Amino acid sequence: MKLKVSLGVLVWTLLISLAHISLNIGWSNVGDVVRGMFSNAKTQLRVGYLPVT
Amino acid sequence: MTSWVTEHTETTLSFDERKFTDFATVKEALIAQRVDAVFMLAPMAMQLRADGVPIKVVYLGHRDGTALVVDKHAAIEDFGDLRDKRIAIPNRFANQAILMRRMMRDWEMAPDSIQLLEVPPPEHPAALESGSIDGFIVGEPFAALAELNGTGRVLYQTKDIWPNFISCVLVVREEWIDEEPQAVQELVTGIARSGMWLESGLEQRMEAAEIAAENFYYQPKELLEHVLSKPPDRVKYSELGPRRDDFEEIMELALEFGILSRRIEFEEYVDDRFVPDADQAGWDLEHLPGTRHGAVL
Repeated sequence: MKLKVSLGVLVWTLLISLAHISLNIGWSNVGDVVRGMFSNAKTQLRVGYLPVT
Repeated sequence: MTSWVTEHTETTLSFDERKFTDFATVKEALIAQRVDAVFMLAPMAMQLRADGVPIKVVYLGHRDGTALVVDKHAAIEDFGDLRDKRIAIPNRFANQAILMRRMMRDWEMAPDSIQLLEVPPPEHPAALESGSIDGFIVGEPFAALAELNGTGRVLYQTKDIWPNFISCVLVVREEWIDEEPQAVQELVTGIARSGMWLESGLEQRMEAAEIAAENFYYQPKELLEHVLSKPPDRVKYSELGPRRDDFEEIMELALEFGILSRRIEFEEYVDDRFVPDADQAGWDLEHLPGTRHGAVL
């Protein structure tokens, strides 16, 4: 019984986290964070622009 | 150009460019920290700072490069003929909106004698073609697009009615200025050197048109070649340091026309420490891969 409850909580936490990322944060933003943590590449500055002078 | 070059060199910084289609969304992205820096309308940056958003103007994107375009076949010969017409502007917090109101004042026209409509810049040419508007005032390449597709003609270039016109400025979130000043310096220096390279000759402008058309604007290169060459001073990439007198003029006009909610001091919204010395050497693109002088694009 204890194992089932623990597994249920784990699955529920996983699902609600995935839903939160999908609905509120966005996978691209998560990707940015993960790349920043594990990449030893250049410092990345996100620059917004419109295709207009 | 800056982004392109940094991807092909060994600087410590790379730019993740995020393309937008309207300034309202750019503003929201900056507030929400989905971007760290943006090219943004100058009065919009002032208003954001007045609202307490932690940003600073560190450089300009260009000077001039905006045109007032009208229907090619309309009987409009000067600004006075725009009375009772519908003119699109990029945003209410645009210097183009300030210019229209200043022109109305100078031509002794009532402030509501021209209907100003906020329309995202990429939609201006189509709106003119459909007859939804009688003209528009916006940055390039959309004025040139209307010219080349035969629907519009330039009534005024801003260089002729407000010399050294400022449209977009480079805005950076303050945490980057405080915590990563070297990154901000690389960005500003890159833009400055790109500008110097663009101003060094027509051949460089044609090459820039090709790179920008293919990699960033996704527009025909002939359109960008037109923008950068007809005439060559249609868009200027010199004198890009933010100057107090330019911004105070914009501030005074914006307050006069009720565009800004309150006055803020130049030092509150501008940080000009990153402006490079005027005598810095430009890039020699012969040594960069990915250009026609090096590898194949």
